[in-house]
Amino acid sequence: MVEQVNSFAIKTKNVSVHYGNKMAIDDVTINFTKNDVTSLIGPSGCGKSTFLRCLNRMNDVIESCKVQGEFLLNGVTDIYGDSIQVETLREKIGMVFQKPNPFPKSIFENVAYGPKIHGLASTQSELNDIVMESLNRAGLYEEVKDRMDDIATGLSGGQQQRLCIARAIAIRPEIILMDEPCSALDPIATARIEELINELKEKYTIIIVTHSMSQASRISQRTAFFHLGKLIEHGDTSKIFTKPDKEQTNDYITGRFG
Amino acid sequence: MNSLNKRLSAEKRFQLYGLFAVALSMFFVLILMWKIFSTGSGAFVRTTIEANVFFNPDFIQVNQNSLEKELYRASYVALADEVVRQNHPKLNEEQFIKVREMYTRKFDYQLRDYLLDNPDKIGQSIIMKITASSDLDQIVKGNYPRDVPEAQRKINDYQLSVLDKLTSEGKVSSVFNFWFFTKGDSRDPESAGIWGAVMGSLYALIICFSFAFPIGLLASVYLEEFVKPGKVTDIIEVNINNLAAVPSIVFGLLGLGMLIGVIGLPYQVPLVGGLVLGFMTLPTIIIASRASLRSVPPSIREGALAVGATKMQTVFHHVIPLSLPGTLTGTIIGMAQALGETAPLLMIGMVAFVMEIPGGPLDPATGLPSQIYLWSESAERGFLEKTSAGIMLLLLFLIIMNTAAVVIRRRLEVKW
Repeated sequence: MVEQVNSFAIKTKNVSVHYGNKMAIDDVTINFTKNDVTSLIGPSGCGKSTFLRCLNRMNDVIESCKVQGEFLLNGVTDIYGDSIQVETLREKIGMVFQKPNPFPKSIFENVAYGPKIHGLASTQSELNDIVMESLNRAGLYEEVKDRMDDIATGLSGGQQQRLCIARAIAIRPEIILMDEPCSALDPIATARIEELINELKEKYTIIIVTHSMSQASRISQRTAFFHLGKLIEHGDTSKIFTKPDKEQTNDYITGRFG
Repeated sequence: MNSLNKRLSAEKRFQLYGLFAVALSMFFVLILMWKIFSTGSGAFVRTTIEANVFFNPDFIQVNQNSLEKELYRASYVALADEVVRQNHPKLNEEQFIKVREMYTRKFDYQLRDYLLDNPDKIGQSIIMKITASSDLDQIVKGNYPRDVPEAQRKINDYQLSVLDKLTSEGKVSSVFNFWFFTKGDSRDPESAGIWGAVMGSLYALIICFSFAFPIGLLASVYLEEFVKPGKVTDIIEVNINNLAAVPSIVFGLLGLGMLIGVIGLPYQVPLVGGLVLGFMTLPTIIIASRASLRSVPPSIREGALAVGATKMQTVFHHVIPLSLPGTLTGTIIGMAQALGETAPLLMIGMVAFVMEIPGGPLDPATGLPSQIYLWSESAERGFLEKTSAGIMLLLLFLIIMNTAAVVIRRRLEVKW
C-alpha cells in the first residue's frame, strides 16, 4: 500500500468484540481511506454491523458488549480514549441506520436538532441555512421545501432515509457510517440513495454495510469481506469482485455460500 | 360432513353463550342506572311554600342604615316565626309548632341570605318561596305514603290538611335545587349540598397529582432509562407491582400512622387525603409510565444518540415527549380510581360532618365518596335521594376523567 498515514480516516488494529461470552469480532485490523466509499460485505451474522457500530461507539449502550483493540480517528485520536467524549466523536462520525428513523417531529426539526444541540448556529437564519444546505446535499430539498413543518414520519420510506442522511450531515461530520441504508427501500429509492452516496464521497468518508454485492460493486472504491467475525479480505472493489486472493471470498461473491 | 356440522353448531352455541353473558351484564348495569337515576333525580328539585314576608326591623333589630356585618350577625329566628304566624293566622301554640315544622329549620338563614343580597328590602313586604322541610318535601314527591296510619307518618293529619289547603291555593311549588350544588353538608336534608365534598375531593386530587405525577415520572424514567438492570431493580419492580395491588385501606393506615402520627399533619384535611391517594396512585403511574417509555422504539434513541445527543438530551427531547400520552392516560385513570376511593379517607378522618366549604387543602373536609357514605348512613328519608344524586355526580366525574384520558391519548399519540 502506498497511502500515507494521514490519509486514513479511521485506523483499527486487533479489534475483538464480545457479547457476553460470545465472540462477535475476532482480531480485525483494517484502515479506511479518506474520501472513499468502503463497503463491508459478508453473510448475515458475520459481525459487519457490529464492527460498524464500534466505530462511533453505538455499542456502548449494549450492556454485555465488550470492545477491545485500537481505534484511531485521523490516525491520532483514540476513539475509546479519554481525549474525546463520545458526543464529540459522534459529531465527527455520523450514522444512518437500516430502517429510516426520523424523529416524529417536523422535517425542519429533524435536520435542525443536531446543529441545535451542538450549538453550530448562533442565529435562526444560520440554522435555516444549515437545514437548507443539508437537505439540498441529501437531494431532498426540492421535494420538501413547501412543507418543512410537516411531520417527518409522513414522508415516503426513501424520503425518510434521505432525511436521515440530511440529519447526519447537518452536524458536518467527517465520516458517515451507513448500516444497510437501502434494505428497507424499493429499487427506485435505492438508486436515488446510491446516486447520493456517490456525490457525498467528495466531502465525506463513507463506510457502508450492505447485503447487496451489486450495490457494493456499484458504489464503493474499497470492499471488505467479513466471515464469522473475521476479516477475510480487504482491498479495491474492482479486485475483490474480479480476482480475490482468498477462495472464501470467491465462493461468497459467486454465490456458492452465504 | 357430520362432524363439520357438529363443529359449526358448537361455534353457534358458543356465540349464544357469549351473547347471553353480554346481555346479562348490560341488564345489571341498566338496573343499577335506573335505580340510581330514579332515586337520585328527586334531589335536584325541592319543594317550596310561597309566603308573604314582611322584613319588620323590630324583629331583627336592624334598620336601613345597618352594615352588612350587622345584617349577617342579626338573629332572624323571631322574624321567621312571625312570618309563619302571619301567613297562617289564628293558630294555637300547638298548631303553630306543627306548622312551623312544615318549613325548613333553616328558615332564618334563608331570610338572612335574602336580606344580605337585598338590604333595601328592610321594612318592606315581599312574596318569597320558603323551602319546605324535608319530611313535607318527601310527602309532596310521593316518597312517603299518605295513606298509612298517622302514627307511622312524620307528617300528621293536621299538617296534611294545611298542606292540602296550601296546595289548593297554588302556594306549593317545586324549584330547581341549586343548594345541592352550592352548599356544604347539613343535618337537614333539604339544605344539604355536595359542594363541600366536591371541593374536598378536588383539593385532594390536586395534591395527589402534584405529588404523584412528578415522582412517578422521575422514578420511571430513572428506572427505565438510566439505571443498570440488575437484582436491585428486579426487587424494586416486583415491589412496585405488589404495591399496585395493596388494599387502599393499608395506604390509609400509612397516612394515619406516618403523616398524622409521626409528621404531625392535621386530621381530616385534603392535604393528607391527597398524599394518601398519591401513595396509592404512585405504583399505577410508574407502571403505566414505564410501559409507555418501553414502547418508544429504540431506533429513536439511536437516532438521537447518533447525532451526538447526550443520554439525558435523548431522554428529555425525544423519549419522554413520545411516552407522555401513555403516562398521562395512566395518571388520569389512576386519579379516577383515587377519586372513588373511600377507605383511605375513612382512616385519615375525611369522613366527618363538615358544614363549611373548604377553602384550601388545610381546611377540614370530606371527599365525594365519603360524603356519599355519610348520607347513606343517615336515617332521614331525604338523604336517600341525596345519596343517589351524589353517586350520579361521582359517576359523572369518573366518566369525564376517563373520557379525558381517551381524548389525550388520541390527540397526542404519534402515528408511526
